[in-house]
Amino acid sequence: MRDVKEVLIDYVKNNQEKLYRIAFSYSKNEEAALDIVQESIVKALKNISSLKEEKYVKTWFFRILINESLQYIKKNKKIITYELEEIEDKIEWNDNITSEEIDVYKYIQSLNEKLKTVIMLRYFEDMKIEEIAKVTKTNENTVKSRLYKGLKELKRLMKGCN
Amino acid sequence: MKKIEQAKTVYNAIKIPDQLNNIVNRAVLKENEKKRYDFKYIKYALSTASCVFFTFILMINISPSFAANISELPVLGDVAKVFTINEYIKKDNEKLVNAKIPAIENTGNTELEKRINYEIMLKMNEVLKEAEERAAEYKEAVIETGGKEEDYQPINIKIDYYVGYLSKDVVSFVITKSETLASAYTEKYYYNIDIETGKNLNLRDVLGNDYKQIVDETIYKQIEEKSKNPDNMYFTKEENGFAGIEDEYQNFYINSDGKVVIVFEKYQIAPGYMGEQEFIIDKQIF
Repeated sequence: MRDVKEVLIDYVKNNQEKLYRIAFSYSKNEEAALDIVQESIVKALKNISSLKEEKYVKTWFFRILINESLQYIKKNKKIITYELEEIEDKIEWNDNITSEEIDVYKYIQSLNEKLKTVIMLRYFEDMKIEEIAKVTKTNENTVKSRLYKGLKELKRLMKGCN
Repeated sequence: MKKIEQAKTVYNAIKIPDQLNNIVNRAVLKENEKKRYDFKYIKYALSTASCVFFTFILMINISPSFAANISELPVLGDVAKVFTINEYIKKDNEKLVNAKIPAIENTGNTELEKRINYEIMLKMNEVLKEAEERAAEYKEAVIETGGKEEDYQPINIKIDYYVGYLSKDVVSFVITKSETLASAYTEKYYYNIDIETGKNLNLRDVLGNDYKQIVDETIYKQIEEKSKNPDNMYFTKEENGFAGIEDEYQNFYINSDGKVVIVFEKYQIAPGYMGEQEFIIDKQIF
């Protein structure tokens, strides 16, 4: 059997773009997102001995990554609101993206951290409810209710706009 | 929900910087290299632990009467002083707390001392409480995801302070709080107190109405100067780098030469690896 540490290293190497997108969605800043990814990897490896089971590598790492992102946001609130306006400059445009897509993305980003986290993990990362519960350290019912609340809030935001 | 699927196309289109792969590889290597230092770290931890043994433990009391008592100390000289009123050391499985809480004295304005010292105590209590809660949460997360209690490394929480400038008119000092796991997160609280009025001075108070022009010019110049070293890569304006200070409430302290030192937090105007950025405004204000 492989060492848990090797599994983690493979995981972060193979999923680095995913990890970066999560960190970026919270921090809205390239340099900060890179820092968050880097710090999360260092923290995870440092505490790897506390992770015994390979199957938890993904949820465990996501939890560290999200905590790290939230800590960053807390310290840089002002900068982030400003940078949120700039998302248009930070994506690779393709035919599927119009201002409507951008708006929905922005609405999701404007939700409170708890709602935003479950929506991003569920719909952007296709995580199962069970996995999201592990990442956010809550139970499945809480995740479901946050999803529901988040969707309701999004609907409200979209209506308000049209 | 279809709309969210649309947003996912934006999410998936977020540009990936070229450096990402390098940074990930470096982070993985960095941690492997660190192994070599482990022994040193343990030795350090042991010596810290023995300090705990010899240091008396003092709770920080939020008590107005306590604050009142210290302010009754006789006035000895001309110059205000900043001293450690409380030293607080605590160690358990979750964290190692090491807090040095400052207070001011000898200002000749006891009302002011009372108020400021009480405020500092309240603030530091809150800061400590939050940091301890975060440590507890982090530990819980480790355990819940299959970690073992004995493998968890306690988080280091440290509160300390440094004194910038002291005179009979002004005290300037900075309280620092850091939480260390793999790397340190530091937060700072700036105090530049006018002893006569009790006001926490802002840049307009110390540099006058032209404060923005003075500060901006100096910083632009110093950034240009420092950027000659290729290791210093300040964010450009487009990258949300320095574009002039926002207002007079920008963080600063007064150094022992009586000059204003402007401070930007890590990430604020430069990438994280460059750390915090300080700029001395070369104008004698005291």
